[in-house]
Amino acid sequence: MSGTSTGIRSDATELGDARRRVQKLVCDMPGADRPFSEPWELRAFAMAVAAHHEGHYEWSEFQLSLIDSIRQWEAGDGGEPWSYYLHWLEALEHTLAASGALSDSAALDDRTRQVLATPRNANHHEARREPVTVDPARS
Amino acid sequence: MTVKPTDTALRSQEEITARVKALEALLIEKGVMTTAAVDRLAEVYENEVGPQLGAKVVARAWTDPAFKERLLADASAACRELGVGGLQGEEMVAVENTDTVHHVIVCTLCSCYPWPVLGLPPNWYKAPPFRARIVREPRTVLAEDFDFPVPDSVEIRVWDSSSELRYWVLPQRPAGSEHLSEDELAALVTRDSMIGVGAPRPVGAAA
Repeated sequence: MSGTSTGIRSDATELGDARRRVQKLVCDMPGADRPFSEPWELRAFAMAVAAHHEGHYEWSEFQLSLIDSIRQWEAGDGGEPWSYYLHWLEALEHTLAASGALSDSAALDDRTRQVLATPRNANHHEARREPVTVDPARS
Repeated sequence: MTVKPTDTALRSQEEITARVKALEALLIEKGVMTTAAVDRLAEVYENEVGPQLGAKVVARAWTDPAFKERLLADASAACRELGVGGLQGEEMVAVENTDTVHHVIVCTLCSCYPWPVLGLPPNWYKAPPFRARIVREPRTVLAEDFDFPVPDSVEIRVWDSSSELRYWVLPQRPAGSEHLSEDELAALVTRDSMIGVGAPRPVGAAA
């Protein structure tokens, strides 16, 4: 559900504004031309931009943290495969912690375990081969 | 106070997904951001991660009757012919709109959705209002929430996707599109038209 009260869809003008803002932010980022390969990457991306828009940190702070995370990986032993958005997520956690927006990493660990314990399609494994609703023609 | 860097060397996609979900839930609870703001930004990208693949499949079905037949018989196999497939694309069923029947897809319990064809589900698709109301009053929801009135002469069928069987809609080819190439046709196909809550773009409308 979008944030508008008028219905299910978000407002096209707002969307256009958001698109321009985001494009401005991402055009000078490494990996900006890479599509997202996993849904969580898109979500992590959107969260980082949203927190910045809400004034929780300067974009440059986030970028420095991202660069730092990538540098650490480069200096490491290669034990972890490359994932741009894993660094993105780490940078997001760091930056939010530094800004005081989310300083409790234990709470995040707990909540993560909670999510893992709740399978997404837990109760939805039955193929349904008939329409769930038929609204007959009226004329 | 700083968060320690990742303390496990290798984390599964499932674990990372859960962590991102948990992070979002906490940030929203703390008022750091709103779901709507994250959704809006994600939506900016939504149309660059998926629906163009479904559009390619639809355009092929509009121009190649033999392919359309294969698509309606086994959507997953037909999509594979075009290199479209992968996670959440197993057991897909394409339902064809006609002059007398209009199809809509929903996942009544969660957000089962054919990712390879449509990309990531928009947030309203995952939200309780759509999931509940499209089943109860599809005609009203399409007209009022999506500004997409379906003529009274047309029957509406709502299909419930699950993790075992995912539906998507093959919309009708727009009137007056006979002269268009497959690529031009693909540009008329919208995500919403493949969910069944909108029409393809009319001929002449820019994508």
